[in-house]
Amino acid sequence: MTPPPEDPKGTSADASGSIRDRLQAPPQPPTDAETSGSGLTDAAFQQTDSAAALAARGRSDQQESSSAGTVASDEQMHPRKEDLDPHEAKIAERKVASLFLLSFLAVLGFCVWYLVGEQEFGQPNNGLFTPILGVLLALALGGVGAGAVLWAKLLMVDEEAVQERHPFGSPDDERAATAEAIQKGLDDANIKRRPLLLGTLAVGAGSLALLPLPFALGMGRWQHKERELETTAWTEGMRLYRSNGQPVRLGDLQVGAVESVFPDVPHPQLRADSPVLLIRMRPEEFTPAPGHEGYDYQGHIAYSSICTHLGCPVKLYEQRTHHLLCPCHQSTFDASRGAEVIFGPAARRLPQLAISVDEDGYFVANGDFDEPIGPSYWERA
Amino acid sequence: MTTSGSVATSRPSRASTLSGNAANATGRWVDDRLGSSNFVRRSLNKVFPDHWSFMLGEIALYSFIILLLSGTYLAFFYTPSLAEVVYDGSFTPLVGVEMSEAYESTLNIAFDVRGGLIMRQIHHWAALLFVVSIVVHLMRVFFTGAFRKPRELNWVIGVLLLILAILEGFAGYSLPDDLLSGTGLRIAWSIMLAVPVVGTWVAFLFFGAEYPGTEFLDRLYIAHVFIVPLILLGLITAHMMMIWYQKHTQFAGPGRTEENVVGSRLYPAYAAKAGGFFFLVFAVLAAMGGLFQINPVWLYGPYNPSQVTAGSQPDWYVGWLDGATRLMPGWEVSGLGHTLAINVIVPAVVIPGLIFTLMLAYPWLEQRFTGDRDFHHILDRPRDAPVRTAIGAMSLSFYLVLWISGGNDVIASIFDISVNHTTYAGRIALLLLPPVVYVITKRICIGLQESDKELVHHGIESGTIRRLPSGEFVEETVPLPVPYRLALNKVEPSEPGHGNKELASGEPVPHGAPSDGGHGDMTQWVDTEPKSKKGFLRDKSKRRAAERPEPTRAELEGSGQQ
Repeated sequence: MTPPPEDPKGTSADASGSIRDRLQAPPQPPTDAETSGSGLTDAAFQQTDSAAALAARGRSDQQESSSAGTVASDEQMHPRKEDLDPHEAKIAERKVASLFLLSFLAVLGFCVWYLVGEQEFGQPNNGLFTPILGVLLALALGGVGAGAVLWAKLLMVDEEAVQERHPFGSPDDERAATAEAIQKGLDDANIKRRPLLLGTLAVGAGSLALLPLPFALGMGRWQHKERELETTAWTEGMRLYRSNGQPVRLGDLQVGAVESVFPDVPHPQLRADSPVLLIRMRPEEFTPAPGHEGYDYQGHIAYSSICTHLGCPVKLYEQRTHHLLCPCHQSTFDASRGAEVIFGPAARRLPQLAISVDEDGYFVANGDFDEPIGPSYWERA
Repeated sequence: MTTSGSVATSRPSRASTLSGNAANATGRWVDDRLGSSNFVRRSLNKVFPDHWSFMLGEIALYSFIILLLSGTYLAFFYTPSLAEVVYDGSFTPLVGVEMSEAYESTLNIAFDVRGGLIMRQIHHWAALLFVVSIVVHLMRVFFTGAFRKPRELNWVIGVLLLILAILEGFAGYSLPDDLLSGTGLRIAWSIMLAVPVVGTWVAFLFFGAEYPGTEFLDRLYIAHVFIVPLILLGLITAHMMMIWYQKHTQFAGPGRTEENVVGSRLYPAYAAKAGGFFFLVFAVLAAMGGLFQINPVWLYGPYNPSQVTAGSQPDWYVGWLDGATRLMPGWEVSGLGHTLAINVIVPAVVIPGLIFTLMLAYPWLEQRFTGDRDFHHILDRPRDAPVRTAIGAMSLSFYLVLWISGGNDVIASIFDISVNHTTYAGRIALLLLPPVVYVITKRICIGLQESDKELVHHGIESGTIRRLPSGEFVEETVPLPVPYRLALNKVEPSEPGHGNKELASGEPVPHGAPSDGGHGDMTQWVDTEPKSKKGFLRDKSKRRAAERPEPTRAELEGSGQQ
């Protein structure tokens, strides 16, 4: 192979070398630089040096010629002080070097602190352990990062180069040849003369797409879903338990008080459909929802605390107005009027649990909710 | 046989010769096996245009790498299990509390694994930065028209990356099984339920049982650490390869045409800057991870379906959906044994679905309405395309109203106003603000075009007042330097019949040129008079391919060189 007549990197190689080389032959003064600086001669930015080189070697590569003709180097137009003054270049070099060294020291510091630093277990941020790790890690990474950027900005030759874009889209004859090849394949496969094969292939291969479906349905335990959504853990005669496991008795709640209660099941906190809010107000303040007369017991009213909008627990009870607020999207329910919606995106009132008191004076549910609790879904009647 | 290591150093010393030999040998070894010299050389010489806004996508890429690194470390300690355990770790306030293994292992990462907390916080901050940088990068691409032919496919990939990044982030902050994440998951479950016809099937497919069930955490975990990252990785790779193949877009400027790329070669300075920038991004995230607390799950406590904290907020990129659900009135229809939760599906399914569909389709919509099916490698400035910019600003205002409404309870408590009023204000703003923003933005763009026209036509005001023989006073103006002219002139391709006659002839007009014009002075940098007086009110829909070639630029360059 003959050596390339022109170095593809000629322009940069000329100008590169060390910064000192360029300083020995300082760049042209700014005024001159400006005259040539716009660099807009056709020759300058249309010439693609290595395209020429490749062509000379007989393998012109239209698609991705590595071509880069120099238009105008940025530092010719705006010479950096590091280019003009060896002293400044030395200063810049020291800056970069010290940043790299800073990284080294910070890595050492990080390792030492990681091994021997006092981690105050259980304290937020582990005391000073985590912040100091962070600072050292930032210095370690930032030193290398800032050093590299500074090196490139202050000391590296960074000429503005021009590269031709390859034309997008293939030439027409290329496209035609490809279409022909595809057509030939279709002909060779005799697709046109065997429509039966094409049709049955479409059916057979297409049906493969159905294969994942049973698996997906299996993941969903689809056969149980509707019953699961309609029921909760509450059953007839089940006592209302506080989160500490104590059942609530008649008289435990003062007027205006509110209590979260749960059914008597293992891990009641995980029965996400069952939490209930037991509220006591003066009986004359309460107007039951139509059809829910008798669900309350002597001014004690039990609502599902799962919001009918998106299922957040409705926990904020304003005693004076009897408003129940969902903190997620601000749906507001009026507890004194059957928990009807008075504001926000919820569309339905909170379901009410019918309660009474057993012979020992404890509150019990009269049964499950008479409607699905929580957010709406398609199959909900 | 040439090798990549054949560049002669200008000062051969013993050391550099040795290293040169080593490089030569390595290069030859590799090239003998891969034949990679040509590829390597072409890659090293690849030219990248430079602009600060081109770094936004880089930040997203680097955040993703940092997410992979920090996430891998976290996976060594995290347990995706809902099995109940009693906490017995270093964080005393929670000792003795029943919680899931997932939450316990998250607490252990924070308090008992050396360096675990900083790694988790880096991971969380990187996730926030990942989505931020994707969004801002997407805005840059939109407002500069970088999505136009031939880059529509990369735009589509970018939008898909945004959607996946949001899902990935949501899956990630749902893993600790703390009170906040459980609340978010329950909302996700409820949204799935609300989908018409298939809602319950979809919800049970993801959760395996009625919420919470016992399986969702395993599924969420495998989605978060394997499925979604794998798709992200594949799409990011395709995104990068397409950028590489199609070459980057560039802003208008001297010597920049639709047929070339003007910028820095990849090697060495650009690579040094980009590599350095990766470490700088990492350094910032490391500092944030060490110094700024994020998502302190130990304060929220373990998940309990009957509890919730007031003022609970999702991560920022989910806030707009939260706001949409807050603003929606409580509409629901039921009948024939079915319920349609309009109050849920409109804000949580229809609106995001519509927004992302419009985003995906935007390149083709714009082509359809402008008739512009040309290749574009020169970027628009936002003012160049007033309608597009106005659409973008309008969409942003819509998004911002939703996003701010996601925190309307926080705003209400800070400013001591009623939550209801903030909701009403949000509803009104959502309907009124976008059209207003559209009109204002379009006016601003057109105004900026007018001021560009002033500059190009009349030059910069010099402050020198001259008195004409007639007694009239005029201010002399200095013509705009060529690079600026070239940048500005892109906004006004010549339009036949609209230009000044003598200018349309293409001859440089001496009027306004410095008298000593010629080589070697400022006149190289100034041009004389505009080539056309093309309307700045140009209607995008009327723009046609025929107007797009840049005869004006060529003329400008020609005249500037005289």
